[in-house]
Amino acid sequence: MHIAALPVFIPLLAAAMLVAFRHWAPRVLNDAVATGVGAAVVVLCALLLAHTAHGRPFAYWMGGWRPSHSVAIGISLSIDPIGAGLATYMAVLVTAALIYSWRYFDAVDGLYHALMLVFLAAMAGFSLTGDLFNLAVFFELMGAVAYALTAYKIEEKGPIQGGINFAISNSVGAYAIFTGIALLYARTGALNMAQIGATLGHHHADPLVLVAMSLLFIGFLTKAAAVPVHFWLADAHAVAPAPVSVLFSGVMVELGIYAVARLYWTIFAGPLGPHVEELRAILIAFGTLTALWGAVMCFSQRHLKRLLAFSTISHVGMFVCGIGLLSAKGLAGVAVYVIGHGFTKAALFMLSGVLLHRFRTIDEFDLHGKGRELPWAVVLFAVGGLLLSAIPVATLFFGKSLLDGAALDGGYPWLPAIFVISSMFTGGAVLRVSGRLLGWGPSQPADERQAAAAREEEAEEEAPREYTPPLMLLVPAVLLLGAIVIGLIPGAVPGIEIAAGHFHDHTAYINWVLHGHVHFAPASTSHVEGFDYAYAGGATLGAIALAALGLFGRPLKRHLPHLLLQPVVVAVGGLRELHSGHIGDYIAWWTAGAAALGGASLIFLR
Amino acid sequence: MSRRARLALFALAGGGLAAVLVIGFTGLPDFGAYHGVYGRIIDGIGVTLRHGTDLITLLNFDVRAFDTLGEEFILFASVLGIVLILRQLRGERQEPHKEEAEEHSFARASAALRTLALGLVPAIVAIGVYIVVHGQITPGGGFQGGVILAAAPLGAFLAGRYLSMKAIAPHLLIEWGDAIGAAGYALLGLSGLVFAGIFLRNYIPLGTPGHLLSGGQLDVASVFVGLEVSGAFLVAWTQFLDQAMLVRGGQQ
Repeated sequence: MHIAALPVFIPLLAAAMLVAFRHWAPRVLNDAVATGVGAAVVVLCALLLAHTAHGRPFAYWMGGWRPSHSVAIGISLSIDPIGAGLATYMAVLVTAALIYSWRYFDAVDGLYHALMLVFLAAMAGFSLTGDLFNLAVFFELMGAVAYALTAYKIEEKGPIQGGINFAISNSVGAYAIFTGIALLYARTGALNMAQIGATLGHHHADPLVLVAMSLLFIGFLTKAAAVPVHFWLADAHAVAPAPVSVLFSGVMVELGIYAVARLYWTIFAGPLGPHVEELRAILIAFGTLTALWGAVMCFSQRHLKRLLAFSTISHVGMFVCGIGLLSAKGLAGVAVYVIGHGFTKAALFMLSGVLLHRFRTIDEFDLHGKGRELPWAVVLFAVGGLLLSAIPVATLFFGKSLLDGAALDGGYPWLPAIFVISSMFTGGAVLRVSGRLLGWGPSQPADERQAAAAREEEAEEEAPREYTPPLMLLVPAVLLLGAIVIGLIPGAVPGIEIAAGHFHDHTAYINWVLHGHVHFAPASTSHVEGFDYAYAGGATLGAIALAALGLFGRPLKRHLPHLLLQPVVVAVGGLRELHSGHIGDYIAWWTAGAAALGGASLIFLR
Repeated sequence: MSRRARLALFALAGGGLAAVLVIGFTGLPDFGAYHGVYGRIIDGIGVTLRHGTDLITLLNFDVRAFDTLGEEFILFASVLGIVLILRQLRGERQEPHKEEAEEHSFARASAALRTLALGLVPAIVAIGVYIVVHGQITPGGGFQGGVILAAAPLGAFLAGRYLSMKAIAPHLLIEWGDAIGAAGYALLGLSGLVFAGIFLRNYIPLGTPGHLLSGGQLDVASVFVGLEVSGAFLVAWTQFLDQAMLVRGGQQ
């Protein structure tokens, strides 16, 4: 496939050209070039997906440096359906965000478009590369762009602080990644993931390999925002411009999860074969904590974008659990879920951008009743809430039923309950906001502390408007439609299951990358079980009930015994206090997370 | 968290992480004990296949040229970020009095410093160009040479002439250097696809090992990277110095 590297080269070239001509190019040209390049990358990645989907993954050796005697010399793009599919999905979201930006910003020059294109190229390279160091390079490139885009609205304090917290947290993550790479290189003398996996073979993992794995995992989990290395996410996602938040929550976070999965099945699956059970327990512990933490934090927010950011963290917990099950089915569940979640979350961030654009605030209580002016936005918002609760039979539902099945197969029958809680709280929070937009429930909060942050966003636009461009509602509507129907396309979900089966075939990966022999063990597909409908239906009803409780439940408080209520209030308050915005706190927690993962690995996986 | 709680958490966690790292590092091979085959393979191909005698440059601009594409754009994107974040807001203005801008701390520097700083400018340019174009023969290349080249206009700044520095390196020119260097490297990679059938594959004549024109694409890549790096650093420095010296006021 001669086009293999075009999804990286074309956006980079276009970005450089946009910068060269940025003092002359009119807005419409910037929009046209950026959106056109985004669409071209969608087509290119879809071609790669179509090519690889029929059991034909391939390695493309940059510069023609093919392996000599099975030793990788240059850098390969190792393209399989999961990587190509992720790149396609990512390019669709970038293009959607660029189209949405046509009308979202009043004043924006070529710099914004150039940065978005570099972001696109970095994420494409990240999805396609087969080289560990190259993966880290694209990780850094994504970061460099993302920090700047976070701080885009420099006239406010929040974005600058969010950008700084993001940059420092992720740079610390990058140190961990590079240290992990150095350790693996010292041991194997290789940087190609297949080569490292082949060199480590099935030798029992010694401390060096375990520490390298812990460092790489915690580094990429920082990008993915797993508890306790997640603190930067809410600060950054809440303050970035809406189309940028779309990409942060919809793709960038998921790429961290992808890296963990890719590294495990290419490099560590061999040495850690005897300890699958223990590693599963460690990862699921992280995932469960993240899912619950995010769910509680999400429901207790009234700043709309922070609410959505914590919702992303909760879903990341589900992803970590899904990958942590270390099975093809769990991986397939995550892949399907990522698509449904990403399209939904992208639409919700765009809709909060619509509200901010129109009303100058995204504080839930300030927006009380405002939705009547924008009925379609409320309808779409509520649809997004229902989708997040994994309502049957949208895409998220299929992902969740695969995750449920994988949890039962892996010996974690209680895990589906965690998923249900995550769906209930994250869906319920969005539904509650939809109700509040319609003027339901009280218009004044029980306590006034959170309001300031949400109103600081005001400066993004000068005055409330009378008009919302239809395009800004059309793009999220199309994305929500995608989130509903993609899972229903015949063959889509089984196709992802087979691709995941091939992805998790450790030996086959080494063979097709280094030797060009494509041979996979047969992969299986599964069916949606009856209990999946029960779980998902329960989660949706639970979300609606929670939303109702959030809207109308205040009178109930008086009837609840104080002893029951007080611990909950104190616990949630304590959790919220931890998100202090102080970067020193965040790094202390990061260190604790890295020590916990490293320590647990050294103790339980030897 | 309170300061004490934060320090206590960090002390505990940092101790744990340090222990984890030390345990992992004990598995490292001894200093100088290299068992890999990769280094030997690279040793073998540098001169024979690419007519380049500096293996670091060979790795950067040929064997692992795709990494360099990413790294070059990390610098490019970071500088775009600086320009974006330090952009002038409504209500901020450029200082109109040129004299004031010249009157920074170095302006009262001794005549010796001024003479030396200005005299260094051509020497720095010469060394920078030399390092950029000899990357395939001796240690150096676009990244190193680019930084040296970017230092040349700083000589004018050291001599107390910030506005002269901006005249030597006008904003548009350095921004173009940055953008064209970045685009040129990407185009070099694309042209490999066009002329040799594979991205970043060398199709430029290899020349004689040890000569200035040798190593195929190593030199071309080096020049583009040098252009990008010097442009990028100058854009970043002028943005920072503008903030410090020229831009006054703020919103409200």
